[in-house]
Amino acid sequence: MSLTQKIIFTLNGKPVQADAQVTASALELLRGAFELGGTKLACGEGECGACTIIVDGRSRNSCLLPAVDLDGREVLTVEGLWSEDGIDPVQQAFIDEGAIQCGFCTPGMIMQTKYLLSKNPRMTPEEIERGLEGNVCRCTGYKKIISAVAAASAVAAE
Amino acid sequence: MDKIIEKQSLIGKRVTKLDAPDKAVARTRYINDMVLPRMLFGKILRTDRVHAHIVSIDASAAEALPGVAAVITAKDTPGGKIGVLRDNPPLKTDTVRCIRDEIAAVAADSEEICDEAIRLIKVEYDDLPTVFDCTEALAAGAPIIHEDCPDNIAMEQNFEHGDMAAGEAASDYIVEGEYNVHYVAHCNMGVSCTLADYDTDGRVTIYTQTQYPFNVKMDIAPSLGVHPGDVRIIQPPVGGAFGSKLDVYPYEPICVFLAKKTRRPVKLIYSREEEFIASPTRQPVEFKIRAGMKKDGTLTFRDCDSLLNNGGYTSWGATTPYVTMRTMTSHYTVPNVKYRARAVYTNNPFAGSFRGYGNVQATWALETHMDKMAETIGMDPVAFRLKNANPPNEITPQGSNLGCIDLTGCIKQAAERSDFLNKWHENNKGWDSSERFRRGIGIATSLHNAGGAKIHKSDGCGTMLKMDDYARVTIITGGSEIGQGLDTVLAQLVSEELGVPMRDVTIINNDSALRPWDVGVHASRTTYIAGNSAIRVARKAREQILKAAASHTNMTHEMLDLRQGYVVQAESGLALMPLDKILRQMHFAGEDAELVMATDYYEPPSEPEDKDHMGDMSAAYSHAAHVAEIVVDTKLGAITVEKIWSAQDVGRVINPVGLEGQIEGGIAMGLGYALSEELKIVEGKVLNPSFRDYHVMTAPEMPEFDLTFIETGDAEGPAGAKGIAELPTIVIAPAIGNALYNATGVRIDHPPLTPEKVARAIAEKNGRL
Amino acid sequence: MLPQNKRPPDIGEYVAASSVDAAIDALADGQGTALAGGTDLWAQKDSGNGRLRQRLVNISRVSELCGIAEVAGKIRIGALTTISEILESPLLNEKVPLLPQMANRFAAPQIRNAATIGGNIANASPAADAVLPLIGLGTSVELRSKRETRFLPLSGFFKGPGNTQMTADELITAIEFETPPGNFHGVFCKSGPRPALEISMVAMCLTGLLEGGKLSNPRLVFGAVGPTPICCEKTEAMIDGKTISDDLIASALDLMATEIAPIDDFRASKWYRTQMARTFLEAELIACR
Repeated sequence: MSLTQKIIFTLNGKPVQADAQVTASALELLRGAFELGGTKLACGEGECGACTIIVDGRSRNSCLLPAVDLDGREVLTVEGLWSEDGIDPVQQAFIDEGAIQCGFCTPGMIMQTKYLLSKNPRMTPEEIERGLEGNVCRCTGYKKIISAVAAASAVAAE
Repeated sequence: MDKIIEKQSLIGKRVTKLDAPDKAVARTRYINDMVLPRMLFGKILRTDRVHAHIVSIDASAAEALPGVAAVITAKDTPGGKIGVLRDNPPLKTDTVRCIRDEIAAVAADSEEICDEAIRLIKVEYDDLPTVFDCTEALAAGAPIIHEDCPDNIAMEQNFEHGDMAAGEAASDYIVEGEYNVHYVAHCNMGVSCTLADYDTDGRVTIYTQTQYPFNVKMDIAPSLGVHPGDVRIIQPPVGGAFGSKLDVYPYEPICVFLAKKTRRPVKLIYSREEEFIASPTRQPVEFKIRAGMKKDGTLTFRDCDSLLNNGGYTSWGATTPYVTMRTMTSHYTVPNVKYRARAVYTNNPFAGSFRGYGNVQATWALETHMDKMAETIGMDPVAFRLKNANPPNEITPQGSNLGCIDLTGCIKQAAERSDFLNKWHENNKGWDSSERFRRGIGIATSLHNAGGAKIHKSDGCGTMLKMDDYARVTIITGGSEIGQGLDTVLAQLVSEELGVPMRDVTIINNDSALRPWDVGVHASRTTYIAGNSAIRVARKAREQILKAAASHTNMTHEMLDLRQGYVVQAESGLALMPLDKILRQMHFAGEDAELVMATDYYEPPSEPEDKDHMGDMSAAYSHAAHVAEIVVDTKLGAITVEKIWSAQDVGRVINPVGLEGQIEGGIAMGLGYALSEELKIVEGKVLNPSFRDYHVMTAPEMPEFDLTFIETGDAEGPAGAKGIAELPTIVIAPAIGNALYNATGVRIDHPPLTPEKVARAIAEKNGRL
Repeated sequence: MLPQNKRPPDIGEYVAASSVDAAIDALADGQGTALAGGTDLWAQKDSGNGRLRQRLVNISRVSELCGIAEVAGKIRIGALTTISEILESPLLNEKVPLLPQMANRFAAPQIRNAATIGGNIANASPAADAVLPLIGLGTSVELRSKRETRFLPLSGFFKGPGNTQMTADELITAIEFETPPGNFHGVFCKSGPRPALEISMVAMCLTGLLEGGKLSNPRLVFGAVGPTPICCEKTEAMIDGKTISDDLIASALDLMATEIAPIDDFRASKWYRTQMARTFLEAELIACR
């Protein structure tokens, strides 16, 4: 079997460790060892954004991120947004605005939105559209997703 | 104090999708995420040839690889063939006919081991002569793709109505055109995936993305050599389908055979590249249209001949002429019509069904042609369409009663809201200007079935309902949820009938062992058919409850109503007793005890086409008109779509959120068809199997939308609604093509309108090429 | 990828380098591959094109390789600087807006957050966006190895697709260029139906010193119209310091078309790539007037 490397990192606020295969992507590690199925594999080539996670404050395509590179980093996946305190305002906005159909792109969209809002809580419609250009949705035509980000943006700006 | 409860309707209210919260927090486990105990992974070896004899397959090294549980080839899959014409063996025996053909399959402990084992399988081929073009495949001496089909014609449909010669004689003008439409891919975000599990008694459970869970049992069973009754179909949540899963495809029986051989659950999942290469496409078609009219624009006849590039095997793509035919014979009033379609075997990949089902292709051809006809007699595109618009209750040449349609209203709304005519006339003046950026506006319309489509003996749907002691309702429906929002619509309709909150309605819709029969999720039929069945079953339960309640009062059950969890006096709204209380009274009534349980099977009042293609195959029909306003960069050829006006006959709005979502998403898919999406297939090989080179629309490319819902109130539809999901994808593309012409005077008959194609056409027109 | 076409890498050793010295130690025998953002390397990891050698050297945590600074009239950008950091850099937005302009057209946000400037150079794609404006700015590439530290001009750095002047033991550590003067003019143009997420069919960068409608010391660089970025030196000479008349533009477009070498492929034809190049150059020359 291929070479593995022990890594320690922070996953959704908790310290974790794993033996990561050197050839594995972060996506494979999260979906496999950590059973975090919310991070979706849809293209595996960095072209669709379904596997978006936030690493050290930056959104990344986890399919193109080597698992071993997570060592020492802070990782946030969609599962980290829902806690005892309730669901994240971004998740609520996607529900309220009808931004979800099949839902397969949704976790990636939500994580990218979290990232965009962390950079700029008052986005213009154009900034929202450009911010989502790496996230493909085949169901909605994006309009309701854009509305959801705008709604979440209004909450974040308060 | 007496409690008065007014009647409050949920119909037409903005309602949140029931599945949205779980999807937002990633509680939803898609089929792609599923893991079963002791599960193996499966992978398929596909050929890299387009037409060849298989001389030998040596899998010995793969079988010896540690971690490999099974390797199978055609000799391990002795069952029958699959596909509409039963021409496709799951694993190929002696011949491969297109690039995706399945040669062997492996089950192993991991996907990596599968991959390695696949690489160890050695296949020898003898290449055969190839043919990729329909006309060449029809020529004498062409390579024969299937020995039992020497003329390479897989399917043929013919229809004629009226007197074509008289129609032609009555014509002042005749316009001819050819339109070749292209290969596109569904691009479901969730790639194809199936899990198969065998039990000790030879029964098989298949977890699949199928859109037709009951007929799939019948279609897959012969290939497996099992009885259809021994196939259980479970549909976990899926990442989109859009028609791609309306047939059995080879990977499904292959996965079952791997499970059968290993006696362990096997999961087979595609890579994105495999999804592009080995999934059914939208059917490419070559149309020839000849159509006549009088000087005043009245249509006199229409003749359409079409060739479908069937590829190596026959899936549902070859049957799209059943829908294409309706558009070509019945869209706008035409007294004399003739239609011919031939699906021709070639060594290309094969097509399946895809949202719009042939009507996307037909509407591109017809609505482009209609604009050419209007121009020929100097009419504007709106007036020409209004002149020929089908009236309500028209009986079409194929015997459809169009019922309560409003094509005229759709056209007028879209044109008026977009200020179409002023813009159209203004743009027409400037074709010779040297401005780099030119503005254009275009219109298109279409007709589609909106009350199911009786392509099988039944177009029905069954529903079972039960209520518990706490007035919680469970609906077990035959209808399938693929993200489009069926659960929400059903909960809304049932909640309306039973006066309970939507959150108290649980929908179960994913296990063929539990659910009653339904023909599948396709043809814009689910809200209409499953919705009607849900209303009917809820009314049965309602009557049962009200009768029980009436026995405690001096009123008849017709005088009572269910509102907000209470039995009330219908006229006054006076609350008589809580619903859960009456349910418990019914339940714990000693010898008279009863539970509220009801069943229903709804068969829509439609009829299958006869052998002459006559029949009112849908319970309702509807139209949409789209206007697109675009800006064309005449140098780079890039088209920017600025705004789209859509006016669609939706029957009645049940939930605006779901309706808008379907229309916006459908238009986005149609925009891709018009502008950027094309599976580039050269000599049978797919050149662009990735999102990098296959361009689906992204957020910054989306135009502004203006959506108008025209409520014709279908007498049969649930709460008056019609099916709505396909028209948005069908109509938009020719509106873009017509807008390009309005902007530049350049007509492109073969989509997509890619920047290069547009730039070339404009350069050609200006003599710069 | 289809299983039969995969050639997964055989990685025998993993080194997480904590310093440049550690990284070049690990690369010294020519058996290592430096890993930074991973957007190119990881996307191609199973393609079997031999880019991943047996030792994977992760340099993504080497802080010496990060940062954008101006020192003594030169701007120095660490090799690990991401495209997002270029987009957001106050220094670059003030003094070299050409680079943020390019970054804004570079792939998608998630890729910009990962892709590094060093990686975009080392990957040597003929369609690499970041390379064009850097050539226009007269950038030098700093290469370090156990043997030496050397600087190479970026304009002559590329030999072909995936092929550069770098040796297997070298690491790109930084790039440097002189801070452009106030009259510096630079524009980046790119084809494609989407704003950014598009492999370039054609990209162009035009730079120079703009005074009174004349562009002096121009640099005209095209991407995706040849095996490497193409500098149109003859066209540069033709327009250098000249009044940009309609005649000059027409001649410059024709001359440029002889200097680029676009190919026909399924993404675009040679004709269309040339048409794009002409359209970009014409528009940008007119804009200089």
